[in-house]
Amino acid sequence: MTPGLEVSGGETMLFWVLAPLMVLAALGLLFVRRAVHAAMCLVFVMISLAIMYVAQEAPFLGVVQVVVYTGAVMMLFLFVLMLVGVDASDSLTETIKGQRWIGVLLGLGFAVVLTGVVAQATFQSPVGLESANAVTNPVALARVLFGDYVLAMEAVGVLLVTAATGALVLTHRRQLTTRRTQRTTADARVRALTEGVSLTPLPAPGVYAQNNAMDTPALDPAGRPVPESVPRVLRIRGQERSVTALLDAEAAIVGTDTSGDAVGPPAGLPAGQDPDSTPTLPAREA
Amino acid sequence: MIPDFTAPLIDWAALAPLLVVLGAGVVGVLVEAFVPDAVRRATQITLALAALAATVVLIVLRWGLIVGSDGAPGVSDVLVGGTVMVTPFALALQGTIVVLAFLGALVVADRTSSGQDAFAPTAAAVPGTSYEDLARRAGLQQTEVYPLLMFATGGMMLFVATDDLLMMFVALEVLSLPLYVLCATARRRRLLSQEAAAKYFLLGAFASALFIFGVALIYGFAGTVRLIGDEDKPGVIRRVLSGDAPLDGMTVLVVAGILLVLVGLLFKLGAVPFHAWTPDVYAGAPTPITGFMAACTKVAAVGALVKVLYTLVVGLPPEVGEQLRTVVIVVAILTMALGTVVGAVQTDIKRLLAYSSIAHAGFLLVAVAGINLESLRAVLFYMVAYGVATVGAFGVVTLVRERTVVPGRADGADGEDGVVLGEATHLSQWAGLGRRAPWLTAAFALFLLSMAGIPLTAGFVAKFGAFGAAVAGDLWWLAVVGVLASVVAVFFYVRVIVLMMFTPPAEEQLLAGAEARAQEAATGTGDEAEAAEASSGAEPAGGGVATETRTEVARTVVTVVGSRGPAAVAIAVCAVATLVLGVFPGPVLELAGEAIKFVP
Repeated sequence: MTPGLEVSGGETMLFWVLAPLMVLAALGLLFVRRAVHAAMCLVFVMISLAIMYVAQEAPFLGVVQVVVYTGAVMMLFLFVLMLVGVDASDSLTETIKGQRWIGVLLGLGFAVVLTGVVAQATFQSPVGLESANAVTNPVALARVLFGDYVLAMEAVGVLLVTAATGALVLTHRRQLTTRRTQRTTADARVRALTEGVSLTPLPAPGVYAQNNAMDTPALDPAGRPVPESVPRVLRIRGQERSVTALLDAEAAIVGTDTSGDAVGPPAGLPAGQDPDSTPTLPAREA
Repeated sequence: MIPDFTAPLIDWAALAPLLVVLGAGVVGVLVEAFVPDAVRRATQITLALAALAATVVLIVLRWGLIVGSDGAPGVSDVLVGGTVMVTPFALALQGTIVVLAFLGALVVADRTSSGQDAFAPTAAAVPGTSYEDLARRAGLQQTEVYPLLMFATGGMMLFVATDDLLMMFVALEVLSLPLYVLCATARRRRLLSQEAAAKYFLLGAFASALFIFGVALIYGFAGTVRLIGDEDKPGVIRRVLSGDAPLDGMTVLVVAGILLVLVGLLFKLGAVPFHAWTPDVYAGAPTPITGFMAACTKVAAVGALVKVLYTLVVGLPPEVGEQLRTVVIVVAILTMALGTVVGAVQTDIKRLLAYSSIAHAGFLLVAVAGINLESLRAVLFYMVAYGVATVGAFGVVTLVRERTVVPGRADGADGEDGVVLGEATHLSQWAGLGRRAPWLTAAFALFLLSMAGIPLTAGFVAKFGAFGAAVAGDLWWLAVVGVLASVVAVFFYVRVIVLMMFTPPAEEQLLAGAEARAQEAATGTGDEAEAAEASSGAEPAGGGVATETRTEVARTVVTVVGSRGPAAVAIAVCAVATLVLGVFPGPVLELAGEAIKFVP
């Protein structure tokens, strides 16, 4: 083995601790049912991979792995998951009969072939790390990227432009109607005044000694019921309660006969009337 | 101490064709941002077509330099330290791609006499929402289509002209990504279009993943991702030949790697068993894009396939080469068989053309399986012949449309009434097209005949060359299989031609049926007459047949909309090219012969 390339005990241990866990997490990616769990498995694999890279003297790759994959890509995954809903699960209905088993079979076959191929490999001692990292790992990498692969870098730039354009094409919606702001809403309401729309909030339903519900109209200062105080739906359905009946019932309980006041002035309580003899004023409409 | 960084020597002039196309794409994106709506579409079209035309000129200028003349060899084909390698073969493929892209862009730019192009006003609108209607009424246009087309074309040009597998991967993505987006922008049947894009994207991502996995295995074997390389940085071939690949002798690793890379390439080519996306995507994508995609992607994919396969087969042990060849042969046979057999039962014209393109991938692979210089020439010519026929055929499909008929205006043969809808893609709607639009039908028939490989069309020469290449590679039996598959394929092409030329259109069949019933009613006994009237639900027999079809409330008829120019030009050029290449293939074959002179 070339001097300087022995794998230290610590690194060996790191590998044998991390690698099985990574394999487990990767399998978890396939078999867990919840998308969030799968994403967390993926995060674990990616971070472990970053540690491996650093251990193998590729610190730049390790940092990029954390920053780009774990930091950016995984966060996007999680955002998407949140948009879709954490509890959303895939439909497992097969549209093609036996599709799953065919898939599993082919996948297994592929795995067997690849395992066979890779297992056959006999690795010689690694060489070239020294010279590759002679000017520190990031610098050496930069030289490759901007030397041999400068055009590839530019092509990747084109790829990014394409990705941005494509995302805009598929998601960006131009504002086609005028935007609704507080001002436009206010102006519209003022314009609608002539159509009988009120600028202020509508009065609340009435509150009576025995009754406090949506279907009872409030009384205006003159003692007349205000129809707008009852929600429109109830009015249309005819579920509005009669104020007269309400007041009559109250009067019956209190024990005063209001029948004599039935012809009383609808405009409100006369100033000189004794409050004890007529506790409430029946505001009747003719 | 390691010497300081030396900037790579870049021959900008040699890269010019590529840079012009990609640069036009980038400028197009800026145009999107800064040019006002009113002139944006015109600007984009002008820019795209001008860039493509300029690229053709640049490639022609480069051609003389790189091929060289007698005695004087061409200039070096290795650029940018070997990541770009514009061999005469690659340059010929680039030229083919750009010319086909130009024709395809003409079809894309055509709005037809209905005043609408094939793209949604805004692809971001959810299908069936009020926002979609609003966007249509506001007259929005999705002009990002043109920069995306440029990017795809640039990616394809890079794809066929590189010696580096990583570069090839980047180029694969550069060419695929715009196509995924373009597939989702159809104006009509938008859900199908979006489904097509999603399918293409997912399957394409898988294929790309397999491709890069294969590259990793090859790297593991050879310690390099270059195919040929040079003295300083030897590629796979040099390392294998000199015996200093890190895992020398473990050819099984490199075979697995090459096979996985081939999966990625065969996917783009649409070869069985990686063809499943083709019919759905071809049918769902906007038709001009389908034409562009079918023609240009195929050229790029087969170019890269030939590059990888032919380079590596030379260097690897003969038995490995034989194994790879077997794979190509099996895929070729499967592809031809499935393409022709399944294509024969299609009822949708776009799906039919999709299966036809699968079958053609098979014929191309027959030529590729020959593995000799003859194959390269055959592939080049085949791509030109197939490409012009495909762009032309899909161009015709964009013009055959449905139109609603306003009740009371009868069969719509005379009226300008009704709204022009989407394309009439069902085969039965193409019946009797020959009477409505004889020239268009003639052109379409010509393209189909060329695809079928009938003599005096380009397709015949192309197929002859392809099967000849297989024979030259001692695969005469594969050539026989190819010929048999062609015979089956002729059936479904001719079926469409017969339908267009000799079958009366559906409306006339309806009329004819009614006429027959009416005559029967007039001449038959009273009972029969009543029965006939009841069955046809028509007015009394004496009322005439012209009113017969008015009983339906609303329906659609097939109509041929006029081109506003570009598409007509493209179709005409394609038709002429198909004929000329069929009758006088000599010059192009000669050019193709020059292109393969210096292939390693």
